[in-house]
Amino acid sequence: MPKKTHSSLSRMSRKENRQLTLMTLPTVIWYALFCYLPLFGIFFAFKDFTPVPGDSLFENLFVNSPWVGLRNFSYLFRNPQYVDVLVNTLIYNVIFLIAGIVIPVSLAILLAEVHQKKFTGFVQMALVLPYFISWVIVGYCIYGMLATDVGQINGLLKMLGADPVQWYQSPEYWRGILISLGIWKTSGYTMVIYLCSVNAIDRSLYEAAALDGANFFQRVRHVTLPHLRTTIATLFILGVGSILNSDFGLFYQVPMDSGSLQTVTQTLDVYVYKSLMLQANFSFSSAAAFLQSGVGCILLVIANVITKKIDRDSALV
Amino acid sequence: MNNTKHKHRSYVRPQDSSLGKGANIIVIVFFTFITVLSLLPILLVISASLSSEDSIAMYGYSFIPREFSLDAFMYLFSSGDTLPRAVLNTVIITFSGTVLGLAVMCPCAYALSRREFRWGKLLTVFLLIPMLFSGGLVSSYMVNTQILHLKNTYLALILPGMCSTWYLMILRNYFRTNIPDSLIEAGKLEGVSPIRSLVSIVLPICRPVVMSIAVFQIFGYWNSWYPALIYIDSNHNELYPLQYVLVNIERTVQAMTRDAANVSGMETVTVPGMTMRMALVVVTVLPIIVLFPFFHRFLKTGMTVGAVKE
Repeated sequence: MPKKTHSSLSRMSRKENRQLTLMTLPTVIWYALFCYLPLFGIFFAFKDFTPVPGDSLFENLFVNSPWVGLRNFSYLFRNPQYVDVLVNTLIYNVIFLIAGIVIPVSLAILLAEVHQKKFTGFVQMALVLPYFISWVIVGYCIYGMLATDVGQINGLLKMLGADPVQWYQSPEYWRGILISLGIWKTSGYTMVIYLCSVNAIDRSLYEAAALDGANFFQRVRHVTLPHLRTTIATLFILGVGSILNSDFGLFYQVPMDSGSLQTVTQTLDVYVYKSLMLQANFSFSSAAAFLQSGVGCILLVIANVITKKIDRDSALV
Repeated sequence: MNNTKHKHRSYVRPQDSSLGKGANIIVIVFFTFITVLSLLPILLVISASLSSEDSIAMYGYSFIPREFSLDAFMYLFSSGDTLPRAVLNTVIITFSGTVLGLAVMCPCAYALSRREFRWGKLLTVFLLIPMLFSGGLVSSYMVNTQILHLKNTYLALILPGMCSTWYLMILRNYFRTNIPDSLIEAGKLEGVSPIRSLVSIVLPICRPVVMSIAVFQIFGYWNSWYPALIYIDSNHNELYPLQYVLVNIERTVQAMTRDAANVSGMETVTVPGMTMRMALVVVTVLPIIVLFPFFHRFLKTGMTVGAVKE
């Protein structure tokens, strides 16, 4: 009897397989067009792109443009501006990576201990909201605060008798501003992810720890954190993989593309966008983008391998 | 991840909490402060939009409007068809993007969720590779403009954001853990086709995750402005979505202040006043704030389904 069921199922399976394959087709086409077709653009990074008007993109890229090997990359690294951009991107991302674990985890651990259910629910909602507000809107809100003549902060400074600050001309403040905004926008969202893991911990473990005389911090150290290990590792590995990516909106839109702030606000994504859109420098910006993607991919794999060595269960694959 | 057992207990009973009464109050005060901080920028912008233009010129922005006025909103909606057009564009993009995205992703996620599907493993790898490696802005721009000819079309604002490996994996994992195999088998024995069983069995059971992805997509499309920045030229402003109208105003102001120094007899471009701009910000963000309390409960499903891992 079981044998017969099996064979009839597998016969059905062939037809079903075909139907299921058909169901995946639209997604496969979308990925082919929007993810895989642009992959040939890697060649841009190794070519001196000289398009002939009227020719197709492929002719322009493969026939009309000469190979230049790594020349685009060496130009890139000899450009002092690019090195600044790279350093900026790394600084911001390392800070976001660390703050993106420490702050949400602490908030989640604290919020999980609050007795009032309604309060907890409301706080979660209010903290997640910034994640769904676009950087364009945030940029305007910040402008309302920092505008030189009419801004909130300068008004406050005047009231206190201090000199108003030309915020959009003073790069020294902007690292702090951008970091705070980045944290403001994503912490709540990440906190909710951790909060679910914290809430899934069996409460009896805490009771046992309490019976053993563990205080709050000892309980966090020996019960909560070990349970969050996998979630932290996952988000950490993904963060390492995007170490050269940055939130275009935060670094382009929020400083209102102010020229005098460029030294601290320009990250790789902004740089790629600008050299493509303003200077139409295809080879340059695709070399930068290739580096971004390649380095991210390699780092992700390395982070995953290391995590796997330390703790098998926490690795991604 | 088996969270179902604890799903209904999202808080601790006072006797279980490791915080005493006093500590609890301190933590509550702390979180109240954080909450206010988190909502502050939005409150400020709403207040600014309700102030009169004169009071802002005189005193600057304040948290509570000094002179309450709805003029900015009245003016926004009575001046030409730019704003209604932008609202319409955003609604069209949001609606069609969300519906199309789900229509494309749900069947695929269902196929992936079936363990005996022959191409499942291969397809998963196919979907994961773009998460690791992408062609970058330059080549997507070239492909979308020169091969797919999306420049200055609605499709440029809808298609590129339609699918996401992340969403597909969330859907797949939810389908896997929430649809009992026996249900699918029963359907198969009755000769129900996969697409029928998706529509009539799987989707009704998995409403929470579908709603969740829908909400993510709705917010994503409502907030999107980057595709418009790249793919819509300034002579096609009838395609501008709301968010991009805001970006564009700000760019015009920047360009004007930049040029004002060296060009004196420049053509004057009318830029909306400060309260007007803030009113436009409020019009853009208000739907999100109003809908958020209703949508919030759906979001959680998508946020907490283990996405990459099984």
